[in-house]
Amino acid sequence: MPRVHQPEKAVVYILGDSPMVEEYIVLCSSHGYAVAYDAEGIGAVDASLARKTAKMPENVSFALELTNIDLEKKRKNLEALDKALPVTTAIVSSSVTVSATEQSSWIHHKSRLVGFCSLPTLSTASLVEVAPTVFSPAETIQVVQRFFKSVGKEIELVQDRVGMVFPRIVCQIINEAAFVLQEEVASPQDIDLAMKLGANFPFGPIEWADKLGMQQVYAVLSALHRDLGEERYRISPLLRQMALSGSWWKRM
Amino acid sequence: MVKHLGIVGAGTMGAAIAQLAALAGIDVVLYDINDTVLRQALERLKRSLNKAVEIGELTAEQSTDAFTRIHPRTRLIDLSHSDIVIEAVIEDLRIKKDLFKHLEAGTKPTTILASNTSSLSVTAIASATHRPEKVVGLHFLYPVEIVKIVEVARTEETSEETLQRCRDFLNQLGKTVISVTDSPGFIFNRIVHPFHSEALQILGEHVADAEQIDRIMKSEGGFPFGPFESLDIVGLDVSLNTTKALFESSSGDSRFRPHPIQKRMVESGHLGKKSGRGFYTYEEGKK
Repeated sequence: MPRVHQPEKAVVYILGDSPMVEEYIVLCSSHGYAVAYDAEGIGAVDASLARKTAKMPENVSFALELTNIDLEKKRKNLEALDKALPVTTAIVSSSVTVSATEQSSWIHHKSRLVGFCSLPTLSTASLVEVAPTVFSPAETIQVVQRFFKSVGKEIELVQDRVGMVFPRIVCQIINEAAFVLQEEVASPQDIDLAMKLGANFPFGPIEWADKLGMQQVYAVLSALHRDLGEERYRISPLLRQMALSGSWWKRM
Repeated sequence: MVKHLGIVGAGTMGAAIAQLAALAGIDVVLYDINDTVLRQALERLKRSLNKAVEIGELTAEQSTDAFTRIHPRTRLIDLSHSDIVIEAVIEDLRIKKDLFKHLEAGTKPTTILASNTSSLSVTAIASATHRPEKVVGLHFLYPVEIVKIVEVARTEETSEETLQRCRDFLNQLGKTVISVTDSPGFIFNRIVHPFHSEALQILGEHVADAEQIDRIMKSEGGFPFGPFESLDIVGLDVSLNTTKALFESSSGDSRFRPHPIQKRMVESGHLGKKSGRGFYTYEEGKK
């Protein structure tokens, strides 16, 4: 019997803020990709799922850059990817806290970069926001669309703006809840209960902050405030303290 | 235990609270200054209770019992025996203050005087009486029979005893109590606001269109409905009024500034589902 040629698995290389790196390792490897990654502060990942390597593998099909918080680090990651990867390899980069257009200004091969929405816990959603830049040709967008399809996601093309859609709305909800807490208008428990039972929100704002991580929420709100320069994106001082102290919400 | 409830204002909210209380076995005096409004409210209540029997939610007996527990009245003095009086009249501070003055004079000293306001200061309403410790906000949300929560708004003067009696009363009605301090928008309207307002902001900047934003919030965010579907259901005029009240009572905090898109849609009569057109168009109530 002739041996069936087993095509080599396509390789995805993942870099960035650790919670998202772990999520995308699971997502990509469960959809048949060989995954290599480089991230600090990441727990033990099953070696059968992914290979940790500081040195970039040679045959990378897609690179995912998931950093939202440390933008200096993000820039270094993108510069390194741009240098090491063949010109034809697409870089799909989280553009929640810095626009994809701004990111493409950091690299030489601008047409390969497309932005997308990456926040903790969103890797399991069936839809992903994708933000092409003025430099992204239709082919790059198609490649990215095929990639997300291959991991079970539809894409929604949105304009390349900081905060995109879901992160911007949900972080503003969390910010308002933080103002309410700060003013001691209600307890965290009552805030979550009111929004889940009263408005059918899938999670309470405080629960949501816990799921996304306060530092991610703070990074999104800071980016909105910086980018849009509007008073309405002023961050609740309580929220800022929570993010800076690295702790979760203080339960009253 | 509350045995006698008084309700002032037989509009949609007043009548719905009356029905809820009557079904919980409470005697209700439903007061309205306008006899016609009162008669219409009773007809609506009768229809609503009959319908509950038709769909098997209530027995005919439960329905009849509840209806006989609602006593329509046009004189304030008929509220005198109430354990709690809930005011659900038009959102006008002058009218409410005047009403509370009369309620104070016409009820027992132990009667709790509650306002169903969602946008006015309970503290300001309480200032019209000499028993501010008995004044409280009880913010029932629309539709009253479906939404499980009621915001209980305390002023600096509201007594712990008043709050406890309100909590017990809401337990009688099967509602979940959300305790808030008297402040603009309490918490429900205030935290729902960015869900709608930030979506409008994103739409205004042409980051994505309304259908896309709704799809994203449902698929990515897990919301059962998108912000624009939600605005269409609530009514753009209703939501605009809530926003205006928030904006005004927060002394113009820019987070609560009404969005020009919403203003323009209200001006053009596109109020959402009820007018056949909002962010979506509707035929016979369907998108």
